[in-house]
Amino acid sequence: MGTYRMKAGLLCALALAAATGLTACGSGNVATGNSKSIQIWEGWTGAEAKAFAHLVSEYEKTHPGVKVSTLFVNNDNTLQKVQTAVVGGNPPDIAYLYGSWAPNVAKISSVVTLTKVVQRPGVNWNDFWVGERDVATVNGRVIGVPALVDNLAVVYNKTLFAKAHLPLPSPNWTWPQFVADAKQLTNVSIKQYGTAYVTPGSEDTVWHWEALLWAAGGTILNPANTKAAFDSPAGLLSLNTLRTMAITQRSMYLDPTDSAYANLFNSGHIGMLVTGPWDLSGFPNVHYGVQIMPSFPGTTGGHQTISGPDNWVIFNNGASRVSTAENFLLWLTAPAQAEYFSLHTGDLPIRASVGNAPSFDASMNQALPDVSTFISNLGNVHQARPQIATYPQISQVLGTMVVSVLLGKAQPAQALAAAAAKVNQILAGSG
Amino acid sequence: MTAAAAIARARARPARRARTTESLTGWAFVTPATVIIGLFGAAPIVWSLVLSFTNDNGLSSTSAFIGVRNYKTLIHDPVVSQAIEHTIVYTALFVPGTMLVGLFLAVAMNRKIRFIWFYRTAAYATMAISTISEALVFIWLFDPSFGIVNYVFSLLHLPQQQFLNSPNEALYVIVTMTIWGWSGFAVVIYLAALQGVPQDLVEAAAIDGAGRWATFRRVTLPLLSPASLFLAVWLTINALQLFDEVYLSTQGGPLGATTVLVYYLYQQAFTTNFDFGYASAIAYLLFIVILAVTAIQFRVGRRFTFYRS
Repeated sequence: MGTYRMKAGLLCALALAAATGLTACGSGNVATGNSKSIQIWEGWTGAEAKAFAHLVSEYEKTHPGVKVSTLFVNNDNTLQKVQTAVVGGNPPDIAYLYGSWAPNVAKISSVVTLTKVVQRPGVNWNDFWVGERDVATVNGRVIGVPALVDNLAVVYNKTLFAKAHLPLPSPNWTWPQFVADAKQLTNVSIKQYGTAYVTPGSEDTVWHWEALLWAAGGTILNPANTKAAFDSPAGLLSLNTLRTMAITQRSMYLDPTDSAYANLFNSGHIGMLVTGPWDLSGFPNVHYGVQIMPSFPGTTGGHQTISGPDNWVIFNNGASRVSTAENFLLWLTAPAQAEYFSLHTGDLPIRASVGNAPSFDASMNQALPDVSTFISNLGNVHQARPQIATYPQISQVLGTMVVSVLLGKAQPAQALAAAAAKVNQILAGSG
Repeated sequence: MTAAAAIARARARPARRARTTESLTGWAFVTPATVIIGLFGAAPIVWSLVLSFTNDNGLSSTSAFIGVRNYKTLIHDPVVSQAIEHTIVYTALFVPGTMLVGLFLAVAMNRKIRFIWFYRTAAYATMAISTISEALVFIWLFDPSFGIVNYVFSLLHLPQQQFLNSPNEALYVIVTMTIWGWSGFAVVIYLAALQGVPQDLVEAAAIDGAGRWATFRRVTLPLLSPASLFLAVWLTINALQLFDEVYLSTQGGPLGATTVLVYYLYQQAFTTNFDFGYASAIAYLLFIVILAVTAIQFRVGRRFTFYRS
């Protein structure tokens, strides 16, 4: 009888343990209870993951008693996971969050304001590129420290240019030249395309177009961010340029998956790509070169490009953990660590002083041919996307607009007008 | 002590005490599962119902109760009606498609031929393959420029198609992709049901002069009806909740042509609006639709379902 009772009792205990175990999992955190322990959610992979792990262990070595635990989260999903964690009352101490989310991130009540932190002596806030600082700041409040910076430039296949007897792109080239080159580089019989464009209609579709809009002298919204401003001659010029390649010439490979284009470029099927430095390591099979973005002749935009910086954001888990997190971030983004990270990953330096240091370009190019063009191209970043909470909605409208033109479902003028009307509606609704 | 001995001992005791212990043991067994289901199943269901009456945005900690406003917005939202249309078209093609392919393969494999184990494993393999690899393979198969499908079309002198790049074709590519993925499941269910068809009935039909088609139509098919009803209900519920394939291959595009309900609610909650309240309202709309469709399927299905007693 005793055994039977014990079995039942044991099962009850097990059930209870399972139940409490679950709640323990819910609130359990590696760092709970120790103010010197912080947790970071990051999405580094490959060389970046290795370099980051090295920096973290170096920090722990030089700062005895501090424990920095890292958790890999796919960057695309970090915000939704953070949202859930915040609701659960257990956010990470630091998270890597896309810059385009910043205005929405700023709404999260446990996000720590860093405005004073980045003004501390030795931080040298203005050493971060202006595009980075813009994206880390929402309505004058600094909510993040720059984690990564990139920009768009043209990566071209030198072999295909030689075969087509075309001169290589020069730093003062124009969009009409780009379009003409794209036509020359297209050969349907061997499935070779002049260029490619990503068409999932997401922000990736949109920011490629935004660079063209700015180069044509246009802006997305009016200065007060209250009305659409892209339904303009500049908007028309930018969309017509894309339309010529996608519809008239058929020299543009349209990629709804946002991933196929890289493999096609690496296998020599695409002549020119507008893309960022993160793709370079994926092109070992082609002899490629990098050139800054073309300009539109007769406009004031010049060779403008767009930058998509991302932020490290701190969440409030108590004053002492916040302070530990702040100190770690300031160390992580200091010049020495920024330089180490760039040299070991090929990522652009997040600080101007690192990028402008003599011989830095040469060391970077050794790891990734021509990546230095992307570094100097940071100087062509003159404006940032609107830092408003409704930007994701606006981006969706713009994505639909660009894709409808590229697929030949709408004429540029009508697409612009329709999108502008919708964007104005969104802006009016948000007040 | 063995379990049997324990039970024998327990039975020997007065009935009431035995029953108490027994029910305690029963509770002990079901509690872990109940707690898990309650925590991860029931609680979110209730919570999302509450959310659907708020303007919660998942970001700021303040959210206000706004009554049925989310549901009113939903009725007038043109994207919701489009998403419903896409979901219905998808379900109407996917469910019968998967059942027909599954039935065909199951009948073809319900015989003693060489390497039958290989064919059966191959058919079920589609279920074992992860959705992400499936989506990647189909993206390349249906690539307008480099895909095998367009290559075969060119050999057959058929016009080249844009597939995932075309708002008119993308949804059908996803239908094809998911039928392929789910047919293995239908094959297993139908194969099991086919093994249960008594040979004597088939032989009796043959003796009565029924041909192979007539036997299949009048004897086998009615005996498969419980399996068919199960598949219809199960596949419909899954079809109405389509998400993975859309997320992986088209992200709702091109131009919203593959935005189905669950994808739209995901967008509302996590990518564009951060509007948890509205997304929860859409989820509840879907819940009611699934409940209604399933109820109708059971009602109508019962009339056509033949259970052997």
